[in-house]
Amino acid sequence: MEKMIGTVMLMLEGCGITLQIFCITLALSLPLGLFVALARLSHFRPLSFLMEVYIWLMRGTPLMLQLLFVYFALPMVGIRLPDIAAALLAFTLNYAAYFAEIFRSGIQSIERGQYEAAKTLGMSYVQTMRRIIIPQMIKRVLPPISNETINLVKDTSLIYILAMNDLLRVARTIVQREFDMSPFLIAAVFYLVMTFVLTWGFKKLETHYAKYDE
Amino acid sequence: MNREIMIRMKNIHKKFNDLPVLKGIDLEVARGEVLAIIGPSGSGKSTLLRCLNRLESIDCGAIEVEGEFLAKEDQGAAHYAAGADSKRILGKMGMVFQQFNLFPHMTVLENLIEAPMQVKGLRREEILPVAEELLDKVGLLDKKDSYPGRLSGGQQQRVAIARALAMKPDIMLFDEPTSALDPELTGEVLRTMRHLAQEHMTMIVVTHEMAFAREVAHKVIFMADGDIVEQGAPQEFFTNPQQDRTKAFLKNML
Repeated sequence: MEKMIGTVMLMLEGCGITLQIFCITLALSLPLGLFVALARLSHFRPLSFLMEVYIWLMRGTPLMLQLLFVYFALPMVGIRLPDIAAALLAFTLNYAAYFAEIFRSGIQSIERGQYEAAKTLGMSYVQTMRRIIIPQMIKRVLPPISNETINLVKDTSLIYILAMNDLLRVARTIVQREFDMSPFLIAAVFYLVMTFVLTWGFKKLETHYAKYDE
Repeated sequence: MNREIMIRMKNIHKKFNDLPVLKGIDLEVARGEVLAIIGPSGSGKSTLLRCLNRLESIDCGAIEVEGEFLAKEDQGAAHYAAGADSKRILGKMGMVFQQFNLFPHMTVLENLIEAPMQVKGLRREEILPVAEELLDKVGLLDKKDSYPGRLSGGQQQRVAIARALAMKPDIMLFDEPTSALDPELTGEVLRTMRHLAQEHMTMIVVTHEMAFAREVAHKVIFMADGDIVEQGAPQEFFTNPQQDRTKAFLKNML
C-alpha cells in the first residue's frame, strides 16, 4: 500500500510536468496561431508566403523530429536552451501552425457581408477583426480546436526523449524497475481525467456560444 | 427652391476583369431626395451603389459627396481621396444590404451601439438613448435584447436600417432591401423606408419594388447593361416611358 502511494505521488509529479508543458504551450500557441493565421491571410504577399512555408515545415515534419532538432541540433550552432524551454519552443511552434490553419479556415468561413457591414459603418480593419470577425470565428472553430487541444495532452508524452520526467516517462521508469504494470494503468487514468476535463470545458464553451444562432 | 446637391457621380466606369459593368454613369441626388434605381439583374445598379460607398472601386470617373470629392477623375482614371478624408466622406453614407448583414453574435441593441462606440468613440450611456429611440422608431424596442437569428427577415432588415441610422448618416443607400424577404414581410420594411423619406432623408434605393419607386421616389433611374437608359419623375416614368427597353421591362414587372 505504501509502495502504491509512493508510485502515485511520483506520477503526480510527472503529471505536473505534463500539465506545465500543456498549459504553457496552449497559452502561447493559441495567440501565436491567430497571429500566423492573420499574417497568412494578409494581402502582403511576402508575409503570407512566409507563413505558408512555416506552416508547411511544421506540419510536414514529425513533432518528434522538431523536438530533437531544438534539443540537440540548436546547441550545435550555439543556441542552448534549458530543457523545458526547448520542449516549449518546439511544441509551441508546432501547435501554432495547426491552430493557424484552423483559425484561417474559421476566418474565411465568415461571410463577406460581415466585413462589408463593418466597413460601411466606418470600422477599421483592426476593429472589424477584433469585434466582428474573430468572435464569430471562435464559435465555429471550437470543435477542431478542442480536438487539437486533446491531442496536445497526449503529445506532451513525446518529451520523454528529452529525458524529462513527464507522466508517461515516470510510469515507464517504475514499470521497468518494479516489473509491475499498474503504473501504465494509472497513467491512462490520469490522461483520461485530463481529457475529460478538457472535453467538459469545451462543451461548456460551446454551450456559451450557442446563445446566438447564425 | 435651392437644390443642394448631396451626391454627384460623373462618368463612372467600372469593369470586372475585362467585363464593363458601368459604362459612364452620371447622376445627381439633391438633399431630401429619394432616388430609385431599377433595372434587370446584371444591369449594374447594385454595383453603382457599391461604388458610391467604395465597397467597389471605380476605374474612372468622379464621385462628389456634399461638395467633397471622394474620387476625382484625372487623365482617364479615378483618384480617391486620402485615407482620413475618404473615411470621413464615406461616414456620411449609411448602407442597408439585401442580406441584412447584422452581426449575429451581438444582440439587437449591441448591433446598434457597436459602431458609434468603436468608430465615434461615444460612451455607452451617450448612444444608448439614441439607439433605443431608433429601435422604437422601427418598432422593435421590445426585441433589443434578442439575437438577430431569432428575428424574422423583416425585423432583421428594420434593425439593419436602425443600425445604419445610429451613425447619423446624411444619406442612406439601400441595396435591394426587400429582395431577400418573403412577400408578406416586405411591407414592414418599406413602411420604415417611407417614414425615413417623409423625414426628408436623402435616399438612393436599388429596388424591384415598382410600387415603392412610384409612390416614394422623387426620381427613377432605369439601368440596363451598365448604362442609364431612361430617367425621370415617377409619374411620367411609369405612365409614359419613352424607351423600348424601359417599356419591355415595366411590362414584365407590373
